[in-house]
Order: sequence, then C-alpha cells, then structure tokens
Amino acid sequence: MSIFLLGLATIALAGIVAVATQRHAVLSRRVVGLLTAAGCAVALVPAVRVLAGESVPAARLALPGPGGPWVFGIDPLSAAFLIVVLGPGLASALSGLYAFGAGTARGRVAAARLLFAIEIVALALVVTAQAVVPFLVAWEAMAVLAYFLVIADYDHPDVRRAGFVYLVATHAGTIALLALFAIWAGPAGGLTFADLAGKTPLWWLALLGFGLKAGLVPLHFWLPDAHASAPTHVSALMSGIVIKMGIYGLFRVVSLAAVPPAWFGWLVLGLGIVSGVLGVLWALAQHDLKRLLAYHSVENIGIILMGLGAGILGVTYHLPFIAVVGFAGALLHTLNHALFKSLLFLGAGSVAHATGTRALDQLGGLARRMPLTWIAFLVGSAAIVGLPPLNGFVSEWLVYQALLGSGAAGESIPLTLVGVVGLALVGGLALACFAKVCGIVFLGTPRTPAAEGAHEAGPGVAGPMVALAAACCVLGVVPFVAVRPALAVGAAVANATPAAAGSEVIAAPETISLLAVSLIVLLGLGVLAARAVRRRRPITRRSTWGCGYALPTARMQYTASSFAAPLLALFGGLAGVRAARTADGAAFHSHPRELVLDDALMPMWRALRAGLARLRAIQHGRLWVYLLYLIAVLLGLLLYLAGLVGTGGRP
Amino acid sequence: MTLWTVVDLGVVLVLAPALTGVAARTKSLLTGRRGAPLLQPYRDLVRLWRKGAVYSTTTTWMFRFAPVAAVVTTFSATLLVPFDGQDAVIRFSGDFVALAGLLGLGRFTLILAALDTGSSFEGMGASRDATFATLVEPALFTSFIVLALVTGERSLSGMLGSGTTAAWGHAAPSLAMVAVSLFFVLLAEGSRVPVDDPATHLELTMIHEVAVLDHSGPDLALLLYGGALRFGLFAALPVGVLAARGTLPAPLGAAVLVLGSLVIAALVGVVESSMARLRLSRVPQFLVAATVLAALGVILQVLA
Amino acid sequence: MSLDRLADLLLLLVLLTGFLILGTTRLTTCIRGVAAQGALIGALPLVLQPHWTAHTVGLATGTIAIKAVVLPWFLTWAIREAAVRREVEPRVGYLASMALGVAAVAAASAVAARLPIPGEHSHLLVATSLSGVIMGLLVLATRAKALIQVVGYLMLENGIYIFGLTSLDRVPFLVEIGVLLDVFVGVFIMGIVVFHINREFDSLDSARLSELKD
Repeated sequence: MSIFLLGLATIALAGIVAVATQRHAVLSRRVVGLLTAAGCAVALVPAVRVLAGESVPAARLALPGPGGPWVFGIDPLSAAFLIVVLGPGLASALSGLYAFGAGTARGRVAAARLLFAIEIVALALVVTAQAVVPFLVAWEAMAVLAYFLVIADYDHPDVRRAGFVYLVATHAGTIALLALFAIWAGPAGGLTFADLAGKTPLWWLALLGFGLKAGLVPLHFWLPDAHASAPTHVSALMSGIVIKMGIYGLFRVVSLAAVPPAWFGWLVLGLGIVSGVLGVLWALAQHDLKRLLAYHSVENIGIILMGLGAGILGVTYHLPFIAVVGFAGALLHTLNHALFKSLLFLGAGSVAHATGTRALDQLGGLARRMPLTWIAFLVGSAAIVGLPPLNGFVSEWLVYQALLGSGAAGESIPLTLVGVVGLALVGGLALACFAKVCGIVFLGTPRTPAAEGAHEAGPGVAGPMVALAAACCVLGVVPFVAVRPALAVGAAVANATPAAAGSEVIAAPETISLLAVSLIVLLGLGVLAARAVRRRRPITRRSTWGCGYALPTARMQYTASSFAAPLLALFGGLAGVRAARTADGAAFHSHPRELVLDDALMPMWRALRAGLARLRAIQHGRLWVYLLYLIAVLLGLLLYLAGLVGTGGRP
Repeated sequence: MTLWTVVDLGVVLVLAPALTGVAARTKSLLTGRRGAPLLQPYRDLVRLWRKGAVYSTTTTWMFRFAPVAAVVTTFSATLLVPFDGQDAVIRFSGDFVALAGLLGLGRFTLILAALDTGSSFEGMGASRDATFATLVEPALFTSFIVLALVTGERSLSGMLGSGTTAAWGHAAPSLAMVAVSLFFVLLAEGSRVPVDDPATHLELTMIHEVAVLDHSGPDLALLLYGGALRFGLFAALPVGVLAARGTLPAPLGAAVLVLGSLVIAALVGVVESSMARLRLSRVPQFLVAATVLAALGVILQVLA
Repeated sequence: MSLDRLADLLLLLVLLTGFLILGTTRLTTCIRGVAAQGALIGALPLVLQPHWTAHTVGLATGTIAIKAVVLPWFLTWAIREAAVRREVEPRVGYLASMALGVAAVAAASAVAARLPIPGEHSHLLVATSLSGVIMGLLVLATRAKALIQVVGYLMLENGIYIFGLTSLDRVPFLVEIGVLLDVFVGVFIMGIVVFHINREFDSLDSARLSELKD
C-alpha cells in the first residue's frame, strides 16, 4: 500500500512542479510528463499484483475527528478500476501537456495541470477508499476538481453554463450518496465498508447517486454539454474515466450489500438497454464531433449496465454463470471504453485543433493530412463499434454470453434476451455512426479551407493516441490477458469462483486470439497480394466518377446529415430529432435536441420558478406586516402545541 | 476439425459464385429468357481480374483496402460456419458474435471506401447499406437466440449441428420461423430483391451496387467474390436449420449443404422473378418482419 | 403430423397474418390477411376436435364461409364502391406497430401461461387469442381509415372466437353467438358504402365530443 501512496504522491508532485516551473515551458512539460508517468506506473504495481492473486495490506489512517478510521485498500475490484484510472488517465494527462495551452495564459495552463494531477489522485482514492467518509471526501474532490477542469475555457458563456449544469447534477448525486450511506450505515454501525457488508442499502438511492455520475438515461442530461465544452484531454478523462466512477460505485454497492432484489437487476438492465439504444441514436443525430462522442459514452454506459444488470440478476437468482460472466463483461467493457473513448476524444481534439472546428460537415479529407490521427481514430472507431480483432468485441462478446446464458433458466429470466436484441441493434447503429464520422471527417475531399490546411500537431499529441490504439489492439488480439482477470474480479464481486463461467467461456479467449491473429495475417497477405497484382495491371488515375458531371465540387459530397437521414427517419421519433428541408426542398437539415434537459428539466424548473415567484407578493418590505407574520407563526405554533397536549403527545 | 472440414470449406469457397449464377438462371428461365450460363459469374470474375483498374485521385489506401477486407473478413466468417454439420474450423462459445463482427468489419471498410471517393452517389449507397444492415442485425441475433435456446449451445457449430436435428422433434414451429427469418436475412445481406436489385442500372435506385461504383478491375473482382461468398455463407444458415443432417458423416453433410444451397439459390431466383423490389422506405418493414418472425420463435420457445 | 402440432401451426399462421396486417401498406393485403385469418380459425375446431360431429363441421364451414369469403368480398366491394384510396395511412408507423405487436404477443404469452383456464389445450391457443384481441385493438386505435377499422374489428372478433374454442365442448353456443357478431360487420361495411366514407369517420371523431362542454 505504501508503494501505491508513493505513486499518488509523485503524481501530485507533478502537479506542483507544473505550477513551480511554469516559466520554462519545455522543461516544465518534460519534468511533469516524466513525474506523472512514473507516478502512474508505480501506483499500478500493487494493482497488478492484486489482480495476479496476491493480497496487499490495507492502510489505516486513524484520524482524529468524526467518521471513524480512514481505510484505504486494494481489493480485486479496486485493482481493476485502478487500471482504468491510471492507464488511460496517464495518456490523457500526457496529451494535455502538449495539446492544451496554446493561446491561453501561462498561469491558467499551470493551474489546469495541477488540477488535472490532483484529479487523477482523487480518482485513484475514490476506487481505493474502504470507508464511507474518505470515499465521500475523495468523491467530492473528484467532482469539484472536474468542474474546474470543465470550465478551463471559462471565457465562453456556453462553457460556464455547461459547467453549472454539471455542478448541479453532480451535487444532486452527492446528496443522494450521503443519504444512501447515512441510512445504510445506520445510527449505531461503523463507517468502514467492512461494517456495511451484508446489510441492505436503499437500492434506488444508489442507482440515483451513482447513475447521475455514470450518465445513464435519463440522468445523462448534464453529460453531453460538459464533455463537449471541456478541453479535449479533460473530455477524454471525463468520458473515459470519471463517469466510470458511477459504475464503480454500483459495483461496490453490489459486492458489499446482501443479495440485491430482482427489481434492481431488471431496472439496471432495462436502463442499460434504454441508454444504449437512445445514446447511439442521439449520437447519430449530432453534427458536432465532441458532442457525438459524448453521446456515445451514454451508449457505452448502457452496454456496461447491460452486463452489470445481467450479473445482478445472476446473483439474485443464484445463477453463477450469468453473475460471473455479466460482471466480467461489464468490467472489461469499462476498461475498453476508457481506452477507446480517451483515444477518440484525443483524436477529436487533434482534429479540432488542426482545423478550428468540430462541425462534421466542415471537415473532410483529413486522412491525407493527418495520417497518424486517422489511423488511431480508425482503430478507436472500429474498437468502439465492437469489431474484431479489437478489444470492444471481446467485452461485448462477454456481455452477449451473459445475456444469452440466461435463456435456459426458468421464471422471468428469459427477458434478458431482449438485451441481446438491444445490443445487436446498438452495434448496428454504432457501426453506422462511426462509419459516418470516419468517412465524413477523414475521407473524401476537404469541405472548407480550414480542413484543407490541416496538419498533424506533433508527436506529443499523437504519441498518447498511438499508445491507446496499441492497447486496443493488444487487448483484442490476446484477449485472455484481460478476460481472465476480469472473470476473477467478476467472481469476487459475485461471491463465486471464476470456474462458474464454464470451461467453454474460459477457453474461448485463446480461440478468439487465434481468429484475430489469422484475420490480421490474412489481411496482411491479402494486401500484399493485391499490391502485387495491381503492379502488373495498367492503372489509371482519374477524378471520381460523377455519372457524367464534369465539375464536381467538395460541397457535392454526401454530408453527415444526409448519411444519417435514413436511420433518423426510422428512429428519429425516439431520439427527438427534427429533420427539415428548406422551403425549396434543396437543403436538408436535422436538429437534435437534448430531450431530458430541454424538454423535461428546464420546463419543470421554469414552472417551479414561476410558481415561487407568486410567493413574492408576501415580501413587500413593510416591517409591520413582517411582524404580523411572526405573530401568525407564533399563534400557529401555540395552537399546534395545544393540539399535541390534547392528544397526549402524539401529533 | 478433420481433413473433411477443410475439404468441405474448400468446396464452399469454390462453389459460392455458382449460387448467384443459379439464382440468375432461375430468374431468367421463369421470365421466359434463356439467361446467362451457370458459370457466368466465374467468367466475370476472371475477366475483371485480368483488367486494369481506375482509381480516383481523391481516394486513399482505404479504397484499395476495402476489397481485400471484404474477401478476408467473409472468409474468416466462413471459418466459423459448420458447412458439413460437424464442427467448423474454428468453434468457440459465442462465436456467432464473431460472425456478425467479422461481417460488420467488412461492411465498415466498404462504407468507408465508398465515402473515400467523395462521390455523393456512393455516399448515398453507403448510407443505405448502413441503414439496412442495422435492421438486419437484430433479425440475425434473434434467430441465433432461438437456435441457442432449442439446442442449448452457444456456438454456431452446435447451433447448426446435430442438436438442431434433434430440436425439430420438440421445437419445429420455432425452427421453421427461424429458417424463414434467415432466408429474409439472406435476401438482405445478399443484396437481392426485394431489398436491393443486383441487375438495376440506375444509380439512384441502387444500394450495394452504387456503394462500389468506383471500384474496377481486380478490386471489383474481389468485391464480387466477397459478395458471392457472403451469399453462400448466409445461404448455409437456413440450410443448416432446415436440412436435418443429424449425424451424417462430413462428406454427406456437405453434399446436403450444397444441394440445399442450390435450392435456396433457386428460391431466391423465384422470389426475384415473382415480386418487384420494395420502395426504399418500405424495406425496413421487410427487415423488421424478419425480426418479428424470429422473435415469435423465441416467444414460442420460452413459453414451451 | 399429429393434430396438436397441426393446431399449433394454424395458430402460428393466425399470429403471422396479424403481423401481416400490422405491417402492410396496402388495403388489399389487409383484407387478404384477414380473410386468411378467418379461414385458419374456421379450420381450427376441426383440428382441435379429434372426432368430427355435424356440429363442428357445420361451425367450421359456416365460419369459413362468412369470415374468409363473404366479408372479405364485401370489403373489396366496398373499396371499389366507395372509391377508397388503397393505402393504409397509419397514425402509428408500421415499424412501431409491429414492435407493439411483438410486445403484445409476449405479454399475451406470459399471461396465458399463468391463466387458470379449464380444459386440455395448449397455452398457444390462449396466447393467440389474447394477442389477436390486442392486435385488433391496435389496428382499431392506430389506423385512421374506416375500412381498416373494420379489419381491426374482425381481428378482435377472431381473437374472441379462438378464446371461445377453449370451451367448445362445454358451452358450444358461445362460439356460434360469436359468429353472429359478423352481422354487425356487414352493417358496418354497408355504412361505409352508403355514406361514402372513404377516409375516416370525420363526424364521429371523438375529439368533437369536447365541443359539447358548457
């Protein structure tokens, strides 16, 4: 445990160094980068050891004051999430050193670096806290630091609004969590997690508190704005890691508490399906690269929740196969999504930096101008869609197994089969969506001069992306290195043995690896063979066939709106998308709306404010009237007391 | 995996283009024409393979990669399908997800290749392709659910092997629905009427054809072969459900598959000659109907 | 094939005709679908009863004659006579209708498995009956045209008829009274023809009832 704390201290030190050396840009960047990398690497050591089967002693800080001992420890669940936090987190931090700062005051850049470093420390503490008070303190630190990071570009009113909505949402969640733990621990019990074990929490409070952080539908309303408005490396951290803390919380509650009730599992699974389908539909309707990616986070949280929900049902109905495989799928998808979503956000940042816009329909042709970003983004896209031979496929495969494995069991369990169909639909829609993004942004010809003049930002920005893309490939090609620990952690959460997953599932990753390797080898051979054949054929180079039209322009290319139009015509009603043509029918636009925030919460808030405004009539500044109020209240209280006495003390 | 598995896979790889020939021939016979010879698809492939290619100056490596990927991904997917009723070359629990994933990868690269040309025609084709593929996915997976339920297996080799034959005894209605649903999927994935028309000549009405409009020469040959292989693969699915191969030895099982696939291909020809293709806005109804059929199969199975 | 399996097959086909009606764009397909449904449920008593009596055979012939021949012909005639446009024009889209149909079948199956209905018959009989009723209501509610509402009403009635079959041996007259309801359908269609209601019951729009307030 001391190694772990040493690592965290190094990361924090990196933040302090960033402020101290802000005058020397290059030196600062190098030292901070090195320290952060070293800190993350050191802190990962105990996590890897725990996943390998060793145990690490917990650290107890007996602080004076309320709240009992502050216990920090690394159990398998913590270790799994530590990898999620520190691996992709490091990539975002390094990318931020290079990508963020141009055109911003020196002090603000340094402050942002400090905040980012402490945010990573806070995240690591959230997943290792083993008592209520340190957990909530770390949670709140994480939430507030994230707020400051989101509003790093606070000069724009949009950013401030997004930050405010985020702040309100996260505090609503914190209040729910305070209530959850207060009621769970009860008046007499201790406040370490060990004391909570086996007791029953208020499940809906856990879902509300952690769900707000995870951004599941309909609690996702704060997410797209916040993730789109933040600087890119912060978006990567928020979308890749911070929302996963909600997932961690749900996992922690499930692993601590007594057997969860069936309705909780069904609710989690149902919300997972809804989040998955609606998230990807909303993403499909977006024309802003970062907002689109943010909505995909909602979708992927949905996939994770499908696995988690199936796992919970497995625990409730005593079906260890579903429990272990479902939890393992959810955990692995959490890691995978952290990897490829960080990668995609960094790529989006790179694109936005190079072209000055995030609007899909103003881009195009970037593949030639930014080849490294293109390859990395392509890998991330294929991974998030769940295509072999990449990592997203492996975790979705596990979730499919869990959802399907329940079919043979009795009672109402077969309803999980709806999840299989939902997941298939989500996969198809995600493929369409990322084909749209990759094709419109990177392929074809540039649609604007800005896209025309784009160029790669440099190795400091590309390096983390390439590393993340490599991680996606590795976890897809040799999935057993991740599946086995995931099954072990899933078994630990489900209170079962990994063997419950069955020999077929446990042995499958090797076969998947074989399939992935042969696919890659065959693709390589095929490309070489095709090249050899082409060399022997006469090759002509012309402009694209335009069916006889001689003067094609870049504006004639298919746009993102048009590409998504047929799917939105089918499903747009679900997603709240308004499509319209101009009066002469020549141009086509679709306008996505944020259904929950704009159509539900804001009207409710306005109605509330209007209602309360009526009360303003009683406040008009005349002192004698206020005194009358006081007398009225006193009289009321007296009457109430008299009533109490009359009934013998019972109200 | 035995030697026969490899031989049977080889047979499928060689015979796949003939299936499209059979479908086309049936169609022409039924419409009163003599039609092209059965081996015409092979001639087309050879002719295109020998030709030179034209590349648009707009395109990148993605455009040249997609035809290779189309063949390789489909071939990798065929490794998972038990063509002779025995175990496939590669078999693992949940490999049907890999089947969909591999075909998805091929489609993903093909859509990107279409957008790579910067042509609005190909963008249109790619968009339609993506839309209808999205709707095929639930139908395919719902069918797999039924097969998994009735056989208790979670791999394609188990779902389409001897377990299926045994399941006809107690789950005939569900299996029949799945077979029809998979036939619908074949029509969609194989770009056939009523979803798409392989013989159409107007770009605005095309789906798959227009997405590969710019490919020529060897690239087009690869795409055509990939399409034929995919047709063979999806034809093998309903045959695997319908033809009770039970415990037939591998060569006989493969023979049943070849016969069955020929019948299915002829059936595709019959469908093509007996109905017009659907209006584009009506295609989703057809695809959702496939899902509905399979879903009824699931409900029946869960109820039983 | 045993008779039970044959009955299951017929019931499945009844369900599928329901989906055909929910998913089709064309009026004539709707009518053909409901005619096929009528023929199928007409044949059901023959398949369900191991030994035929004059009663069952009469019932079957009568049902098939009315539901599969007379009423569909009447409907087709009405289309021509009232010059109705041949498209369905749904208020709720075809895809949504079909999805709702699947949900209806799933719910009906779940209920059928739990419903304590006396007699020897498969769950599928009750499930099909309930789904038929729900799908009929769905058509009535989501299709604006009067003519298709007749089709919806027929589907609903077919559902009830199938439910009646569960007690065919105990209360035989129940089923026959059901057939009498078809007379109402005839009147319904006559109304359409006589008043040339080629789109919907404008004047019978329930929203206009609210004008009666005050």
